[in-house]
This record gives sequence, C-alpha cells and structure tokens, in this order.
Amino acid sequence: MLGYYISLAMRSLRSMPILSSLMVAAIAVGVGAAMTVLTVNYTMSRNALQHKDDVLFAVQLDSWDPNKAYDSVNELPKELTYQDTQALLRSDIPTRQVAMHRYGFTVSLDDDSVRPFTAEARVTTRDFFALFDVPFLFGGTWEDGADSGPVKQVVLSKATNDKLFNGENSVGRIVNLKGEPFAVVGVIAHWSPSPKVYDLNNNPFAEPEELFIPFGLHRTFEIYSWGNTNGWKNDGLEGYEGHLQSESVWIQYWVEMDSSEQRQRYEDFLTGYIREQKAQGRFERPLKFALSKPSEWLVINEVLGDDVQVLAALSLSFLLVCVVNAVALLLAKFLRKAPEAGVRRALGANRKAIFIQHLVESGVIGVLGGLLGIVLALIGLAGIRYLTLGMVDRIATMDWVMMLSSVGLAIFASLLAGLYPAWRISNTNPSVYLKTQ
Amino acid sequence: MLELKPMLSALWRNKTSAFLIALQLALTLAIVSNAGVIVSERVEKIARPTGMQVEDLISVTFMPIAQEYDMAGAVAADMDLLRGLPGVVDAFPTNQIPVSGSGSASRYFSEPNQEIGGEVANYYQVDPNFINTLGLELVAGRNFTAAEMDVMGPNENYDARVAIITRDFGEALFPGEEPLGKFFFPLGENNPIEIVGVIDRHLGAWVGWQKAGQVVFYPLLIKTNHKRYMIRAEPGQRDAVMKLVEEKLAQRDANRVLQLETLSRDLEQSYMSDNVMVKVLSAVIALLTFIVSLGIVGLTIFWINQRRKQIGIRRALGATRANISRYFLLENGLIAALGIAMGFAIAMLINRMMVTSFSQPAMPAGLLLSCAALLLLASLGAALVPALRAANISPATATRSV
Repeated sequence: MLGYYISLAMRSLRSMPILSSLMVAAIAVGVGAAMTVLTVNYTMSRNALQHKDDVLFAVQLDSWDPNKAYDSVNELPKELTYQDTQALLRSDIPTRQVAMHRYGFTVSLDDDSVRPFTAEARVTTRDFFALFDVPFLFGGTWEDGADSGPVKQVVLSKATNDKLFNGENSVGRIVNLKGEPFAVVGVIAHWSPSPKVYDLNNNPFAEPEELFIPFGLHRTFEIYSWGNTNGWKNDGLEGYEGHLQSESVWIQYWVEMDSSEQRQRYEDFLTGYIREQKAQGRFERPLKFALSKPSEWLVINEVLGDDVQVLAALSLSFLLVCVVNAVALLLAKFLRKAPEAGVRRALGANRKAIFIQHLVESGVIGVLGGLLGIVLALIGLAGIRYLTLGMVDRIATMDWVMMLSSVGLAIFASLLAGLYPAWRISNTNPSVYLKTQ
Repeated sequence: MLELKPMLSALWRNKTSAFLIALQLALTLAIVSNAGVIVSERVEKIARPTGMQVEDLISVTFMPIAQEYDMAGAVAADMDLLRGLPGVVDAFPTNQIPVSGSGSASRYFSEPNQEIGGEVANYYQVDPNFINTLGLELVAGRNFTAAEMDVMGPNENYDARVAIITRDFGEALFPGEEPLGKFFFPLGENNPIEIVGVIDRHLGAWVGWQKAGQVVFYPLLIKTNHKRYMIRAEPGQRDAVMKLVEEKLAQRDANRVLQLETLSRDLEQSYMSDNVMVKVLSAVIALLTFIVSLGIVGLTIFWINQRRKQIGIRRALGATRANISRYFLLENGLIAALGIAMGFAIAMLINRMMVTSFSQPAMPAGLLLSCAALLLLASLGAALVPALRAANISPATATRSV
C-alpha cells in the first residue's frame, strides 16, 4: 500500500510542478540553513574525552585578588601559579596528574637536511600521554626525573616526525631546540582532539602542539608561557625566579582519579593545602577550589560562544518559517486536489487512507527536500570555511550522522507540515466534489 | 468605496491560509529584525577606525635558532637595514603586533601605591619611529627622544619614566581633564610615569575588548628570545616590500626563523567571527524574505485560480481590471498588516531574550520599522504579478462552467 501511495505522491508532485518545487525548495532551504549551523554547533560541542569524563578533572584554586573575584564562569582562575603547581605535584593521591602550558621553540637538525622552523610545544609532566590517552607510534614518555630536573628529552608529534625524519622511528635521534640538543624518546600517533579540551585557552579548535617537552626545563630556558598569563599582584620580585614565585597564574592542571573515595581524599588534601597557605598569608579569598570533568570544563571555558548559540536559535526559527510556508502551500495543493480525494472516498477509501496518502505525499516532499538540503548545507559549510579563513576547517565539516540527521529533520519537518492539510482533506465531504464533476 | 466587507468575508472563508501567511510574515519580521540588530552592531564594530595605516603595514616575528643571541645588536642592525630599503617608509621593534589578538595589558592608577580600581590598558614597548611607522596622529605633546630609549633583559624590573598614551586611555584615567604632563602609576607602585604625548587613536591588541583603544607606549626594548618588527611600506608596494624584507633579513642573519604577515590579514582574522555573523545573518535575512515571498506568490496564484469564476462574474458585472488587481493587492495588504502587527510583538519578545541571555544589543525602533516596511514591500511585490494577471481573466469565464 505504501508503495502505491508513494507512486501516487510522485504523480501528484509532477502534476503541479511549480507548487511542488516551491515546497521542496522551502523545506530544503530551511533544512540546509539549520543543518549548516547545527553541524557547526555539533562539532563545537563534542567532547573528545567523553570516555574518561568520570575520571578526569581540571583543577582550579582560588588564589586570586582578595578585592575582586576572577572574571570567569565559576569565578576561579582557569590556571594555577607555578608554586601551587609544584606543591600539588607532590601529592600521590591522584592516579595520574599533569601540569602543563604552551610554549614554542625553533627546531633544527645538525645536518641541515631540514630548514629550521618554529614549532608550538607543550611543556608538560610525563603523565600527559597516559592521562589524555595519547597513543604512541614509537617509544614512550620521558623518564621520571625529567619533570623536576633539566633533562633534554622530547616527544614528537607524528607530523613533526614526518617532517624531520620522514616518519622513521626516530627514538634516540637528536633534535636541536633553540640550538640545544634534545634526545627523541617518543613519537605519538596522529592525535587531534577537537575542541582541544585539555587546553581551551587560545583557539580551542587549533591543532595540538608539535612537540612535547618535560616540565623540568623552566629555569634552563627561562620559559614564559605562550598561552595566557594572568596576574593581579605586584609582587616586586626580581628576575626569572621572581616570575616562578609570583602570584601570576599560567599553568593548567589535570588529575585522574578512579574512585569517589580517591576524589574525597584529594578534596581533603586541597582544602588542607589552601588552609596551610592561608596561614602564610596567601589565598586571601574565601576557601574555594573546583574539580571539573572534561564536559564541565568545556562549559566553563564557554567553547560554545553566544554567537553560535544565537545562530542555532535563528536557524531553527528559519526552519520553522519554512515549515509554516510548507503548511500553507500543502494546504493549497491538497484542497486543489480535493475532487480527486472525493472520488477516492466515493470509491470506498476511508478517511484514514486519504489521510495517510496525503501524509506520505508530504513525506516524499521531505525526502526530496532533505537530499537537496544536504547539498545546501554543504554549500553553507563551504561558505563558513571560506569566511573563517580556514581557521575552523575541522568544525565546518559534515559527517554521516549529520547527513542522516538532515534527511531525518527534513522528513520530520515536512510530516509536521503535512499533518493539518492531510487532516483537512481527509475530512472533506466527497459529495460536494462529486456533484460538480 | 473599498470592497472591505466582501474581502473580509472571503478571507474568513480562507482563514487558515490567510493566517498561515500572516504567521510567516510575523516570524520573518521577528527573525529579520533581530538579525538586523546584530548585523548593524557588528558592521559598526568592524568599521571603527584603528588609528593605523593598516593596509601598508607588515609585521615580522623572528626567533633566533640559538639560545645565546645578541638581541639588542640584531635589532639595531635590522632597523638600519629596514629603514634603508627602497619602498619602506619606516620601521620599529615591538613586543606585540597591534590588532592581532595577541597582546599584553596592565592596570594603571592616577595615584601612587594603589591596588583597587584603576584603569586597564594594552601596553607596547616601542621606539621613537612607532608614530611614523603606524601612521598614528600625535594630538598633544611630543614623541619619545632617542635618549629616552631603554634596553633591558627579559627578567629585569622596568621603572618607566615617560609614556605616550591614547586619548581614550587619558579620558579613562583623567576624565574630563587634559592628560598631557600628568603622571600615572603602575599597580602598587610609587614611581611616577609622565605622559609626554597623546595619540589620537590606536585600537590596541584585542578588537573585541571592552577597553579596546586604551593603550600606553613605552620607549623600551626588551631582549626577549623572540622579537617583532612593524614595517610600513609606500602605498601600493606592500607585497613587494614584504618579499624584499624577508630576503634581506634572512640574508643579514640566517640563524633565525622569520614569520611575516600583513596587518590587514591580522585585522581580518581578529574580526573573523564578527564577519561570519554579518555574512551569515545577511544571508538568512535575504533567504528568508525570498522564501516568504515565494510562498506568497504561490498562494496568491492558487487563490486566484480558485476564484477564476468569481473574478469573471465581477468583470462581467462591470468591475474594471484595476478593481480586480486592487482587490488582490488590498487583500494581501490586510494579511501583511496583520502579520506585521503580530511580528512586532514577537520581535520585541525575542529581542528581550537576546539582550538578557546572549548579551546582544537592544532593538532600535527605527530598525524594526524599516524591517516592517521592507517586508510589506516584499509581500506586496510578491502579490503584484499574480494580481495583475488576475485582471486579465476574461468576463466570458463567467458564462462557462468549469
């Protein structure tokens, strides 16, 4: 029966080509606009650490200005001071923990086979790879002592290893960073979480860093963060050591904890630490800290900005207008076809059959509109990629989930649009039309 | 004189269709006017003057390959080289590139030893060539002198003695007063910094910052392990100069990695999200108006076809072509008026939500009215062709049975 209805629908669409194409176009444009924006929304709100959402926590401590709360969603600085980081690293409660920030080096090789270039680097403690599930192609993370003393070891990204060593196993080879020799201890496989949930500071959709170096090299290179450094106090301290001892926040901190008991102990530890610091005159604000899951961290960092949400709301209202438009057109079309429905009724079709027949017709319009909508959404996304100067290419791409959703949304929208017109037509009295024939 | 009564009764018979069109127009007005608010705000934001000769400016960022490097010597040699190149107007070293989204800011006070309140400003470390290079306008006081230049290591504490500030920052720090010759103080410090010059405008580092335009300049070179230069080319020669600069800088000292960029590109990237909003919302406005117009065209044609016989009868009874066209246009106008009235209410409701939840600007009445006028025109325009065609229906139609 369904097949018959579909063939009826196709015939009916062909009989009124202008009205039919107007309806298909209305649904297609609505779905195209909605899917363009929703795709951006969907890819922007992905959580690359979903599988570890219950065990990973971003650590925030309120070491900020006693006169004024930090300007963030939860009124806590998003980063820690160097001295607090060093104290937290001494705790053995978390299963794993990572202190880190962005940095950059010039990269060169002794044999001049590659033109020197600058590379983004992540200065981090050794648990980074295990904590964030970063797979290794060759080797592994650096030795334990490298996070507290000046050990010149480096882990390369796959792209950097391809560039420097043509993708060979480079473990044990030497790379010069700022002219200083570093031994390669590992090469990671391609790894590119988007958004970059582990560091949402600057561009959350940028590629991950090209190099990873141990946390024990700050004094050797007098490393200042290439990410965000925020301060509130004039400590009056001198030299690089003064920077390390200052109240400036510039280090990101994550812990991995497997049980709530562990989490409880860690919260007790943080409370104790802050109390201890308060006794020494630091942490003058009310005692406050936060342990946020990756999903919460994305919200705190407002990855999905106001603009994107406004666009999403707007595109859905756009779709709504298109649906209303389709209702009006469908109503006009069905009423025009009323004599036909009258004949079918007279020949024995019941109301339900007429209703379903017309609903199927709107469904067919939905399928056509959805397919065309995918094309329009792809064009829309290409437009967004063009407008964003290639900076968010990874956000503005459609996967098959979104393609299927497009057709689904189109069918849903057109069925919604078809409900009332189909009901109206199924309720008309056949005798009226039979008389005028 | 007008056929209002029969028109209303005809509309009442088709009330669902008429209401659907009115609803479309109402929603469209609500969306278009709210999108319009955002578009006009962003267009204004993008059009703000930067105070700089953006299209002639090039930035260079360089990092020496080796850790040990004579930065002060390199900067001096590079400046000599750059300022002598053909096509280069001027150049200066700096800590940050303006309007690039990357920058530093600090809090300053009009009294010594303060820690609460104060005003924030972007700060730049420059040399006396910065005014000429960026094309800034010095509206009061003087430029830095060569003797005022300080050179320091990255970890030394700097006690500034003189500064040039923007007019915006002067107004923020000393409201209603002439800032020239006054002193200001860094957070918690008592060393006074004298304002020796005032710049008309410089947008600073972050275009989206609430305090954009509050900027202070110091005559200072810090020997960090990477450095930036700003270079101004003769009008129209930017791209050629950019190539030349890269070549000559690499030639003078090959032991470094250079990155060159035009300031136009930086500015474009800084305004990227605003630009996306403007373009996407404009597209939405255009598409929506178009879709709604198409819907009106379709429905008016449908209605006219349904009423061919009645039109024929009216023509046979003496109605002129103009009467028939006017009837359909008026009918359409009535529906549009109803839609627009509903649209006003929805638009204001949505705007209130936008203001409270998404920090968007409030709706100016003029914008709402002009959107309404635009929609009314679009809807009448859409009805015009079918209405004129309706007038061509022959009176003879009345005598034929369908």
